[in-house]
Amino acid sequence: MNPRPSYAIGTGLFILLGFAALAYLATQTTSVANIHRGNSYLIKARFQNIGQLKERAPVKIAGVRIGDVQSIALEPQRMDALVVMSIDKRYNDIPDDSSAAIFTSGLLGDQYVGIEPGGSPTFLKNGDEMVLTQSAMSIENLIGKFLVNGGPKSSGTDAAPASATPPASGKP
Amino acid sequence: MSTNLRRHWMLQGIASIGECGLFFVAVLGAVPKSLRYWRELARQIWFVGAMSLVIVMTCGLFVGMVLALQLYYTLSIFGGTAALGTVVALSLFRELGPVVTALLVAGRAGTAVTAEIGLMRATDQLDAMSMMAVDPLAYVASPRFLAGLVAMPLLACVFNAMGIFGGHLVGVSWLGLDNGTFWGNMTSTVDLHKDVLDGLYKSVVFGGVVSLIAVFQGYTAPPTSEGVAYSTTRTVVFSSIVILAVDFVMTAFMT
Amino acid sequence: MTVASDHQPVPGDALVQVRGLRTQIGAKAIFDGLDLDVPRGSVTAIMGPSGTGKTTLLKHMTGQLRPDAGSVRVDGEDVARLSRRALFGLRERIGFLFQNSALLTDFNVFENVAFPLRQHANLPEELLRDIVLTKLQAVGLRGAAALMPSELSGGMARRVALARAIVFDPMLILYDEPFVGLDPIALNQVLRLIRTLNKTLGITSILVAHELAAIRRVADRVYLIANGRLVAQGAPDELEHQDSPWTRQFFGGEADGPVPFHYPAPDYATELGFAGARR
Repeated sequence: MNPRPSYAIGTGLFILLGFAALAYLATQTTSVANIHRGNSYLIKARFQNIGQLKERAPVKIAGVRIGDVQSIALEPQRMDALVVMSIDKRYNDIPDDSSAAIFTSGLLGDQYVGIEPGGSPTFLKNGDEMVLTQSAMSIENLIGKFLVNGGPKSSGTDAAPASATPPASGKP
Repeated sequence: MSTNLRRHWMLQGIASIGECGLFFVAVLGAVPKSLRYWRELARQIWFVGAMSLVIVMTCGLFVGMVLALQLYYTLSIFGGTAALGTVVALSLFRELGPVVTALLVAGRAGTAVTAEIGLMRATDQLDAMSMMAVDPLAYVASPRFLAGLVAMPLLACVFNAMGIFGGHLVGVSWLGLDNGTFWGNMTSTVDLHKDVLDGLYKSVVFGGVVSLIAVFQGYTAPPTSEGVAYSTTRTVVFSSIVILAVDFVMTAFMT
Repeated sequence: MTVASDHQPVPGDALVQVRGLRTQIGAKAIFDGLDLDVPRGSVTAIMGPSGTGKTTLLKHMTGQLRPDAGSVRVDGEDVARLSRRALFGLRERIGFLFQNSALLTDFNVFENVAFPLRQHANLPEELLRDIVLTKLQAVGLRGAAALMPSELSGGMARRVALARAIVFDPMLILYDEPFVGLDPIALNQVLRLIRTLNKTLGITSILVAHELAAIRRVADRVYLIANGRLVAQGAPDELEHQDSPWTRQFFGGEADGPVPFHYPAPDYATELGFAGARR
């Protein structure tokens, strides 16, 4: 019936290639690649200040990505931020006394949640909450403290912010 | 309409926009009937889409490569080269992919469609169809319009994929950026809906705009060789202007 | 055949009936009260000076143009009042041969002839092939079925277009300048085809042409149109010997006559600048 099957084949191949490219973009270059809802479990953490943390930001241990931030909400009674993280099932042996902190990757990079493992023999399960947290570092606050403390003259007292931030440890 | 008014170039411009709008409605009206000519539609998708693959892939590769080079230089000033993958991907998905693909298709396929329809008009083929009780709007205009609508987003996807590949080639293989950093930053920032799909919506609109202008210019081309040549030029000029204007409006609404 | 210009055939035997046709394109009046009848089963030629709207008349018959006043009836139906669907139904029964053949350049000869069938009749491929080959055989081009239009000579293209025009066995074929640009051999072939189609299938034919010698061999009846009106009619031989200024100029080969040699222009002497001298 079809007088020119070559058109039909060419068109079909083109459409398949186009959708293959779309599938590639959707799965390999976007955060969809990191949402494995079926193969993940949720843990919670509260922060005084989350800074610029956004949904789908990575969650890392020792710089290795193990999951991402699923939702961020304000807890009205306590006025702090409740961050729900979805963690890959493969990493189901995180000690339940681990601590979470918000770091910045690089100078201009996005913020992410870094988890510092503890030593407890029991592990975090789905729905558990991490108790030890550390808020995001605000550059404005740092500069403010720096100026109040008198700048270069009192260089010995700058240990306060430095001790709270081990950014290098979380950097990929 | 008085001849006095028609002579004024501005009113003439408005009138031709009006004609194009009416033509658009006529083409849309002919779409249901044109689905009977699915074979013609397939042939047009092949022509607009498959035949544009080579130029779109080549340009996508080079655009991705040059983006990576330029952005690497800029980002290194701020010490943010880790974000290279993210910035290349976002520039491509949100802006360059849809726009450059649309400009390429307007130049390659749009002009060909205008010239083809213009010559069909000049050689009475459109009249012949209507004499054979085949509506040329449904058989000639609508399939070409639909083909643009379908092919453009697919081409933009191919362009984007090639651009990412080119950016990776330059960023990782050449400039020595860490492979994991490149992909990791990209995947954590790029959003399927806000970045990839919004870009594709743009692309669908561009596809409609380019093919509508090309078909309209061909359909209304004076049936002389000079007329067809002039209309072909106008297809490129008008398509480019409208693509960039629509891009601005859509971007303003989407962000 | 009568020569009398006031002859009115019985309405029933006229396939095409034009009454009081008035058409204006831009500022120019093309038809100004034209009446003519084309009897069923005849070969009728429409002649006239260039620019008198002979092709426009054909477009009225197919409904591509609507008249400003008057009516064009084809097979009893007023073309201008038909709905789009009914008009397309009528067009399926009319074959139209375009001046430049208007073959679809994307398709080969076979697919060009098959095009109307594929669009309107859902025939099995086998039957479709038989019909198309029959029509191509009728115009003597069955062997050229696989060629593309660009590979055909002008005469061959016109014969393919003719095969396409008759693929639905129409009741009426309109030929727009069928003899232009043909060599004598191709001309004879086309003449023979027009004659054969008319004789064997009884297809009514209307042809617009200038070639007097060719028309004399094929037409039963000739209408001469000028200035938007019918100025003479009759069998070709009779018309040639009619003594009216129109026929004398048209058939006698005089350069000047009712159709002026000069396009309307301001006074010659004035335009050359002798106005002052004359005055």
